[in-house]
Amino acid sequence: MTVAEIVFYLLALLSIVAAIGVVTVPNVVHAALFLILTLMGVAGFYILLSSEFLALVQILVYAGAVSILLLFGLMLTRGREQALPSVGPGSQWPLGLITGIVLGAVLITAVLDSAWPGDDGQVTMVSLNTLAGALFRDWLLPFEIVSIVLLVALIGAVVIAHHEEEA
Amino acid sequence: METAAEQIPLESFLFVSAILFSLGVFGVLSRRNAVHILMSVELMLNAVAINFVAFSTYTDGELFRGLVFGIFVIIIAAAEVGLALAIILRVFRSRATANVDEVSQLRW
Amino acid sequence: MEEAWLLPALPACAFIILALFHGYLPRRGDFIAIGAAIASFVMFLMVAVDLIDQLPVFAHDLQNNTSGFDWVEIPEVDFLLRIGFRVDQITVVMLSAVTLVGMLVQIYSVGYMKGEPRYGWYYAVLSLFIAAMMTLVLADNFLLLYITWEGVGICSYLLIGHYYERRSAAEAAKKAFITTRIGDVFLLIGIVLLWREAGTFDMSEIFAMAEEGGFDKGYLTMATLFLFGGAMGKSAQFPFHVWLPDAMEGPTPVSALIHAATMVVAGVYLVARVMPLFEASYDGALYFVLAIGLITTFLSVFMGVVMSDIKRVVAYSTLNSLGLMMVALGFGEAGVGAAMLYLFCHAFFKALLFLGCGSVIHGTEKQEVEYLGGLHKKMPITSWTFLIGSMSMAGLVPLAGFFAKDEILVKAEDFHIGILILVLITLPITAMYMLRVYMLTFLGQPKDHHVYDHAHEQGPIMTFPLILLAVLAAVAGFVVFEPVGEALGWGTGFLETVEYVLTDHPHEFHFDWPIAIISTVLVGAGLAAAWYAWSGAMARSKAAAEKFPFFYSLFRNKFYIDDFYQWTITNVVLGFARLVATFDRSVVNDTGIDGPGQFASITGWVLKYTQTGKLPNYALAMTLGVVVLAIVGFSVKG
Repeated sequence: MTVAEIVFYLLALLSIVAAIGVVTVPNVVHAALFLILTLMGVAGFYILLSSEFLALVQILVYAGAVSILLLFGLMLTRGREQALPSVGPGSQWPLGLITGIVLGAVLITAVLDSAWPGDDGQVTMVSLNTLAGALFRDWLLPFEIVSIVLLVALIGAVVIAHHEEEA
Repeated sequence: METAAEQIPLESFLFVSAILFSLGVFGVLSRRNAVHILMSVELMLNAVAINFVAFSTYTDGELFRGLVFGIFVIIIAAAEVGLALAIILRVFRSRATANVDEVSQLRW
Repeated sequence: MEEAWLLPALPACAFIILALFHGYLPRRGDFIAIGAAIASFVMFLMVAVDLIDQLPVFAHDLQNNTSGFDWVEIPEVDFLLRIGFRVDQITVVMLSAVTLVGMLVQIYSVGYMKGEPRYGWYYAVLSLFIAAMMTLVLADNFLLLYITWEGVGICSYLLIGHYYERRSAAEAAKKAFITTRIGDVFLLIGIVLLWREAGTFDMSEIFAMAEEGGFDKGYLTMATLFLFGGAMGKSAQFPFHVWLPDAMEGPTPVSALIHAATMVVAGVYLVARVMPLFEASYDGALYFVLAIGLITTFLSVFMGVVMSDIKRVVAYSTLNSLGLMMVALGFGEAGVGAAMLYLFCHAFFKALLFLGCGSVIHGTEKQEVEYLGGLHKKMPITSWTFLIGSMSMAGLVPLAGFFAKDEILVKAEDFHIGILILVLITLPITAMYMLRVYMLTFLGQPKDHHVYDHAHEQGPIMTFPLILLAVLAAVAGFVVFEPVGEALGWGTGFLETVEYVLTDHPHEFHFDWPIAIISTVLVGAGLAAAWYAWSGAMARSKAAAEKFPFFYSLFRNKFYIDDFYQWTITNVVLGFARLVATFDRSVVNDTGIDGPGQFASITGWVLKYTQTGKLPNYALAMTLGVVVLAIVGFSVKG
C-alpha cells in the first residue's frame, strides 16, 4: 500500500461522505458547507492527478467563489417563517433514490467491465508553462468564447435579478 | 520517483467519479430547495471534471486535452451558478418561496 | 332506306328546339313538334315504299337496308358503339305504329292539352320519345337499342309525371321507372353476356353466330332469358305489370301513344327481333315466355272486369293484349307473324280507346263510371269510335282485332290444344269487360246529371284522329289476305311478309273457319253476358259482386300484388336499409371515424397529468430517459 494509494482512499472517503452529506442533510446551509468539503476533496484528486494548476483553480473558484455565491443565494431566499432554510426531502425522493442507485450501478458496471487504456503508460507532467502556452495558442478560441460567456452570464444575472425601481 | 498516477489505477478515479455523479443525480431529484438542487448539480459537474482530467492524465498526456476541458468546466459552472441564482432570486421575489414543489403554475 | 336515320333525327331536333326555346316560341312551339312528326311519317312512307319494292324477299337479302356510323370504338376490348340503322319488315311495322299514332296523338294533344301547364315541355318530351322509339326499332346493335330503351323509359317517366304537383302522379312515374328499371338491368346483363361471347354488339352478327351454334346452348338460353327480363319490364308482364295501370296518371294522349301503341310493345318487338336467339336456345326459354304471357293475360282479364276508372279498364286491356302477344311469341318463329299482326292492329284500336277516354275526360272532367253514363247522345262521335275500338279489342268479326286474335288462336292450336283452350277462355271475358266499359260510359241513364248536363263533344282537332283510328281499327285486319297484300305491293299477305324476316319459307296464310266460328261464338257469348249483367240499373252485376265477395275484392285489389310489393319494400328493402344505416352510423361513423378522434382526445386527457409543473418531476423524467438509454446501450454493446 503506497502512500499515494492511502492518500487516494482517504480523499475518496472524504469526498464521498461529504457528498452524501450534501444531498441528505435537511439544513441547506449545512449542505453548502459539506459541498465545500467535497470540493476540497476533488481538488485533492486533481493534485493526485498531477494537475496542480487545476487544483488551485478549483479551490479559488469553486470552494472560494461559487460556494460563497450559493450561501448568499441561500440567505437572500429565506422564507419568513424560518430562521434558516431547513426543509426535508422532496416529494419524489424514493424515485430519485432508485434512479440514483440504478444510474450508479450502470456506471460502475461500465467502469468495471471496460478495458481502459493507459494502465501501464507513463504519465507526462504538464508544466504551467506548457499549459499556459497551449491555452493561449491552441485553445485561444474556446478561451475567448468562454470569456464572453462569463460576460454574458454576468450581464444576464444582473438583468434577471435587478430590482425594479418603484417610481 | 513515480508519480501518484502511476500507482493508482485509472478505474479508481472513474469509480469515485461515478459515485459522486450518482449522488448528484439523487440530490437533483430529491431536494426541495432550489439552491440545494443547484448544489447537487455542482456535484455532478465536479464528478464529470474528475473524469475528464483522469482520462487526460492517463491516456492523453502530451496533449492534455481533458485538462483544458476541466478548466472550461469549472469556468462554465461558475457562470451557470451565478445565472441560476439570479433566476432563483427572481422567482423568490414574485412567489416568496424557494421550494421547487410549490412553483407549479405551469401545470395541467 | 339509307336515309332511315332522318326518321328519328327530325323529332330529335324538334326536342332540342322545344326544350331550349319553348318559352319563347309562339304557341309554345307545338307546331314544330307536329311538323317533325308529320315529316317523320312522310319519310316513313318513303322508307316503306323503298322496302316494299324489294318484297317478297328474305330480310338478309334486302338491299341498302343498313346505314349509320361508328361512334366510339375501343378495339382492345371489342367495344364498339355504332349508331347504326337497319330496316326490315318488323321495323316497318313498328315504325308505322310509331309515326302514325305519334302524329295523330300530337295533333290530338293540341286540343286536349290546351291551357295545361308546361305545354311546350310536353311537346318537347313527346318529340324526344318519338325519336328514341324510332331509333330503338331501327337500331342494328344491342348497345344502341339499350340506350334508346332507357331513353324511352325516361320519356315515359317525364310524361307520366307531367302533372307532378299531384302526389299520385309523381309516385306513379317513380313506380313506372323503377319497375321497368329492374327489367332494364336484366336486359343489360343479357346484352353483356352476349357481347362477352360474341365480341360484338351487332345484332346480325350475333344472330348468325347463334344460328351456326357458336354459343353454348345453356349460356345462350340464360342470356336470352335475361333479355326477356327487359322485355317483361317494359311490356308490363307479370310480375312487372304493376306500373301500367298507375301510369294512367299521365295525360291521356301520352297513355295512347306510349302505353298502348309504342313503348309497351317495345318488349314484344325485342322478343320478335331476337327470335333467332330463342330458336337456338333450349325450348324452356320459349315456354317461359309463353307462361308469363298466359299469366299476364289471365290476371289482367279478371282485373279489368271490376275496375271503375275507364282509363284503368283500358290499361288492363292493354295488359291483356300484351300478354296475348307474348303468348304468340312463345310459340316461337311461327308466332312472330301473329304477334306482329296483333301489334299492328292493337296500335290502332288501343290508341283509339285511350283517345276516346281522353275525349270523355275532356268533355266531362270525370273518368270514373259512377259519374258517367248515357253519353251516347251528347258525344256521338266519341261514342261510335269508342264502340268500334272496344269491339275490335274484343275480337268481333270483321274488325281488325278479330283477325289478329284469330291468328294467335290458330298458332295456339298448332302448338298445343291446351294453350288454345286457355286463350279461348279469355275471349268471352275480354268481350265482356270491353262492352261493360262502353255500356257504363255511353249507354243507360246518366248517373250524375250535373256531369251529364255539361258534357260536350270535342272539336275537330280531337275527333279527326278518333275517326281515322276507328277506320284503321276496323279494316287493318284485312292485310292478312293475299289480295290485299298484293294490292299494297307486298307480294303476299301481311303474315308471310313479316315472317320473311326470319325464314325463307314462311307459313302460308289460310283462313281457319273452325277457329273463326268458335271465337265468334265465344265473343258473342261474352257480349251477351255483359249486356245481361250491366244493362239497366246494373242490378245483376251488383248481385254477382255480393255473391262472390272474395273474388270481387281479389280482383278489385289487383290480386293484392301491389300490396305484397309494398310490404316487401317496407319490410325487406327498407328493413335492410335501416340495418345498413345503423351499421353506418354506429360502426363506421361513431367507431371508425369518431373513434380515433375520441381516442386521441382521451389519451391526451390522460397524459396531461404528467404535466405537473414541478421541476423535480421533469428532471426525473429526463434522468430516467437517460438511464434507460444507458441501460439499453450497455446491454446492446454487451
